[in-house]
Amino acid sequence: MSGKSDNPKQAAKRKSLPEVLRLNLRAMRLIYRRYPHLILSGQLVAIWRALPAYVNISFSAQILEELAGNRDKNRLLLLILLTLTINALLSLVDALLTRYKTLSTNLFFHKVRKILGEKQLDMDYSILEKPETAEKVNHIWQLHYNSGWGLINVAGRFEAFTQAFISLFVGIALVVSLFTSKVPQSAGPLTVLNSPLFLVGLVAALLLLTWAAPFFITKSQGIWASQASQTALGNRIMGFYGNMGRQEQGAEDIRIYRQDRFGDKFYKDKTGYWCSKGSYARLCRGSMGLYRVVASAIPALFTGLIYGFVGLKALGGAFGVGMMTQYIRVISRFSDNISSLLRSWGFLRNNAPFLENVFDFLDIPNEMSQGSLPLEREKVREYEIEFRDVSFCYPGSTQYALRHVNVKFQAGKCMAVVGENGSGKTTFIKLLCRLYDPTEGQILLNGIDIRKYDHQQYLDFFSVVFQDFQLTNFSLAQNVSGSDEYDARRIVSCLRRAGLGERLEELPEGIESYYGTHFHPDGIHFSGGEAQKIAIARALYKDAPFIILDEPTASLDPIAEAEVYSKFNGIVQDKTAIYISHRLSSCRFCDEILVFQNGFIVQQGSHKELLTDRDGKYSQLWFAQAQYYSGETG
Amino acid sequence: MKFNNAASQEQEARRKPRYSVIQNVAFMVKLAWKEKEKKVLVLGLSLAVLSTAKTVASLYLSPAIVGLVEKGAPIAELLWTLFFFTVLLLTLPALMAYVSGNTAPGRITLRTVLMGAINRKACCCSYANLLDKKFKDRMMEAYQAVDGGGCAAENIWDVLFGLIENVLTFLCYLLLLLNVDFFLLVVITLVAFLRYRIHKFLNTYWYRHHDEEREGYSLIWEMRQYCESVPMAKDIRLFSMRPWIEKMYAKGFELCDAFQRKYQNVLLRGPLSDLILDFLLQGLIYAYLIYLVLNGRLNVSSFLLYFTAANSFSGWISGILDNSLSLYQTSLSLSFMREFLDYPEPFTFEGGVPLTPDPADRYEITFEDVSYRYENADQDTLSHICLTLHPGEKLAVVGLNGAGKTTLVKLLCGFLDPTKGRILLNGTDIRTYNRRDYYRLFSAVFQFSSLLPASVAVNVAQNDGAIDEERLRRCVAQAGLQEKIESLPLKYDTLLDRQVYDDAIQLSGGEIQRLMLARALYKDAPFIILDEPTAALDPLAEADMYRKYHEMTKERSSLYISHRLASTRFCDRIILIENGTLAEEGTHEQLLALGGSYARLFRVQSRYYQEGEMTDVRKI
Repeated sequence: MSGKSDNPKQAAKRKSLPEVLRLNLRAMRLIYRRYPHLILSGQLVAIWRALPAYVNISFSAQILEELAGNRDKNRLLLLILLTLTINALLSLVDALLTRYKTLSTNLFFHKVRKILGEKQLDMDYSILEKPETAEKVNHIWQLHYNSGWGLINVAGRFEAFTQAFISLFVGIALVVSLFTSKVPQSAGPLTVLNSPLFLVGLVAALLLLTWAAPFFITKSQGIWASQASQTALGNRIMGFYGNMGRQEQGAEDIRIYRQDRFGDKFYKDKTGYWCSKGSYARLCRGSMGLYRVVASAIPALFTGLIYGFVGLKALGGAFGVGMMTQYIRVISRFSDNISSLLRSWGFLRNNAPFLENVFDFLDIPNEMSQGSLPLEREKVREYEIEFRDVSFCYPGSTQYALRHVNVKFQAGKCMAVVGENGSGKTTFIKLLCRLYDPTEGQILLNGIDIRKYDHQQYLDFFSVVFQDFQLTNFSLAQNVSGSDEYDARRIVSCLRRAGLGERLEELPEGIESYYGTHFHPDGIHFSGGEAQKIAIARALYKDAPFIILDEPTASLDPIAEAEVYSKFNGIVQDKTAIYISHRLSSCRFCDEILVFQNGFIVQQGSHKELLTDRDGKYSQLWFAQAQYYSGETG
Repeated sequence: MKFNNAASQEQEARRKPRYSVIQNVAFMVKLAWKEKEKKVLVLGLSLAVLSTAKTVASLYLSPAIVGLVEKGAPIAELLWTLFFFTVLLLTLPALMAYVSGNTAPGRITLRTVLMGAINRKACCCSYANLLDKKFKDRMMEAYQAVDGGGCAAENIWDVLFGLIENVLTFLCYLLLLLNVDFFLLVVITLVAFLRYRIHKFLNTYWYRHHDEEREGYSLIWEMRQYCESVPMAKDIRLFSMRPWIEKMYAKGFELCDAFQRKYQNVLLRGPLSDLILDFLLQGLIYAYLIYLVLNGRLNVSSFLLYFTAANSFSGWISGILDNSLSLYQTSLSLSFMREFLDYPEPFTFEGGVPLTPDPADRYEITFEDVSYRYENADQDTLSHICLTLHPGEKLAVVGLNGAGKTTLVKLLCGFLDPTKGRILLNGTDIRTYNRRDYYRLFSAVFQFSSLLPASVAVNVAQNDGAIDEERLRRCVAQAGLQEKIESLPLKYDTLLDRQVYDDAIQLSGGEIQRLMLARALYKDAPFIILDEPTAALDPLAEADMYRKYHEMTKERSSLYISHRLASTRFCDRIILIENGTLAEEGTHEQLLALGGSYARLFRVQSRYYQEGEMTDVRKI
């Protein structure tokens, strides 16, 4: 938690110039490597869009000049036709480039989101499962949704940069003559405009104004950025109450406990962050609003100065009205361009800490060794797994979840794992499946530390039905095989073995039936027990030497539970099986039972052996449950 | 994959709204008035006026200076004119920036008020409505109207005041350009309409064809969830699902891109027709205005003024058209929201007979030949149930998954009304009472737990006002959670829900179940309903719960649903629901003696707990 509360501070901290550049260029590189057209098309459009304004400015200046001067009809006609034709051509190319850009940036958000999604897939499960990791990702997306910070807007800002830059250069070329053309001596006092000092003063004033506008905007943006954590909390609370009424579950609780009152209280509170008596409103009225006011007043000063200088020079006879409009319009654009440059820079600078959050996440190193020793399932016929003095402590915790565990799995045997809530059962399974590595001690497969084996190939040894197993909203076949290429016959046989045979017969689409109606209107709603059977079928389809079932009967009625028990033989066949359950009845058909308490294995043996120790943990657990069933059956 | 619901959705979207644009605008204006957020209206109107003034002022700036230079005006006049414009063009944007910067809070407040109304309707509506597809569709539309910054409830102001601004500016330009030529205006207006029609027509391609894209989007969304879900991560790793996810992701992107390519090819006709129209219209404007200059009817500065005005005139016309269309769409969404808020309630609430539960009172609930059938179902889920829950009685309900136990509880609690028969509270049909008062009779632990983003104390007391500390501690202790809570640094003030608060704690499944139990005990209502309260508990915790059961439900009626038949022994009476009927009824011993379904269930479950050899147990 301490790491988390640092975040807002970190976000508010200003980054140094090289840091800002490094982070933003890295963001651009990251996107370019994945989606080069996205960057290229954006830059091309930016360059192209810098041009049309100048074509119009310079042609209409010439037309005005001609109108104010010679009024030569042929020349006017030529100028008009040229303007119109060039405009049409520019628009044509613009339309084509825009199409290219739209297609290249289609689904940009989803594409960027996928970059982070892939990182989540690549990550060690042990890191992914930490609450801090989930919070990092949530933080990143919340800041994006709330205020646009993060990866998404970087490319757009670089485009603005390019456009302003090109525009500035073309513009400069068009106003060189403003400074070279002199007011004739006949103009009297206006000749002062010819003085280089005057020019320097003017340029300095213009530069100051140009710098000032984005300065104030960046200031107000900075206040906004410093609010990021507060706005995020406000939005998260809003997220809860905004979904309260519409979620599928919980409607009963809401009515019985009148939870609508909490919603009402939240919604009636006008002091909430965004509301009229909240802190955002205060910022708008106060500093943030005033910075914006100053920033938006500045362009008028800039325009005023330009008009004054150019107007007076024209009045003095340095050039005609046509050129005058050209200078004014071009220089007015200078102000826009420089503002745009500085605004973009301001954004990139304010955004840098948020990018750092993104890279912090993407750079999280995987800690588990991937191993290189080949372990092909087909080739390893004989296998034996042993826990040798294994202890485990969750990262960030001081308390050991497993202590000095020594156990050997015998191939083909069935083992039950029992214990109170929090005694270490699930951790034990997670270590076995290499979702975590032991803190101390070793887990050995055929005498070799499992960390030395190829990770993926090691995982191929295990089929697991987790307590919170997850199915996808796709066809039964895709669910069971985890792929879109599968052996249909084997899928049917696995579903049958899992006990879903009868139900399967009823389905018109068979194994092509969709799980749920999310992706197919004719999809099938399966009950919790049926879903569990599909998950078991998936485990069977994998056909791994180890099969692990974690609380598979928690939500089943007695008959369905008995069905799982009775099918157990058929399910596990000759595999090594591990069965975790709070219903100790399941221990009866396991060869060996491990009893966990406070992370230790306190007892180990068969049901019968363990019951002989009347004071042991197992007896205590067993009789706690069995007392209610003893003696009275018919 | 098919998407036949898409067609019906579209049809729904085309249905006639109940409220007109005028009615909806009036509704929002009244809301602003009533909620003392008049500033929304004042700021919006000011912004429209200021913006118009700024547009007109900037239109005149350039021609004014050109005019002065053209006639060789004195330096002072030039400088004064410039000073006047600079002040004007400095003040107007500054005011606009301040006004527009302050519009958001008021608008958000009003949206929040509407969200509150929707939330209240959703949380307080008749439970039966939640099973009604039409109601749920309306609810979705209502939420859409208030979701996020671009939703109808907030956007209406931008659209409304944008329309006003466009009309005002249009009128100014109209007055100005009438000086030039009426027919020129007619031509520009016609071209603007033509352009608007073309773009609108091209855009309809999206409405007509975006079903092609929908499947792609669904795939992308789905795969995104899979990538980002922590529980799913285990399955993905163990079952090597990554290549499949990548493939589906790629398919999703490809489907969307393919649609987008076709759509963009259609849209391309927009800029192409624009450039032709621009060519012709601009040519006409140039030719006509230059003709006037050459004939001496215009000077250069007026030429500049009219040329600029004529070129942007069509923009204001299309602005009016676009804004009108947006206003219509926004109003449509608001109308749907209001239709949800008006949706009729089948249950009686404030209009019913009031009921104040008194723990000292004795309450008896009777099912009088009750049947219930879900809408569109071909058979009753429960049929002809006759049952009385006596004061202080502990009743257990058992049955297979899907037998109708949950429906029975929903009828008992007044979430559903019987299709046939009556449910009586002390002899009076419960439908006559205020349903919200009736709910006060029940404390319940349902299978789904709803934590509030608040402290442990608030979650137990379900009240953030006065909390009875002693009762809080007693209930938490009874639920077996005292040790855990008191070991936390903030104890009962510890926050829950890590989704919302960074410093909240994460409780395990078993701990949440106990917290829900403590909440039920704290409410201290005449009836306690417990639905599978021990599913996530280990054997010792489970036994502990049974031991305390009598103490917890002392002097109250209780109803207990469980698959663990051991628990039913603590109850005075057990009923077994089978295929929607009340099949067996009696004490544990009576039912065992009966030798029916209950005895069979008990035997199946207890078999594994019997002493002695179980060599053939795997073959039961």
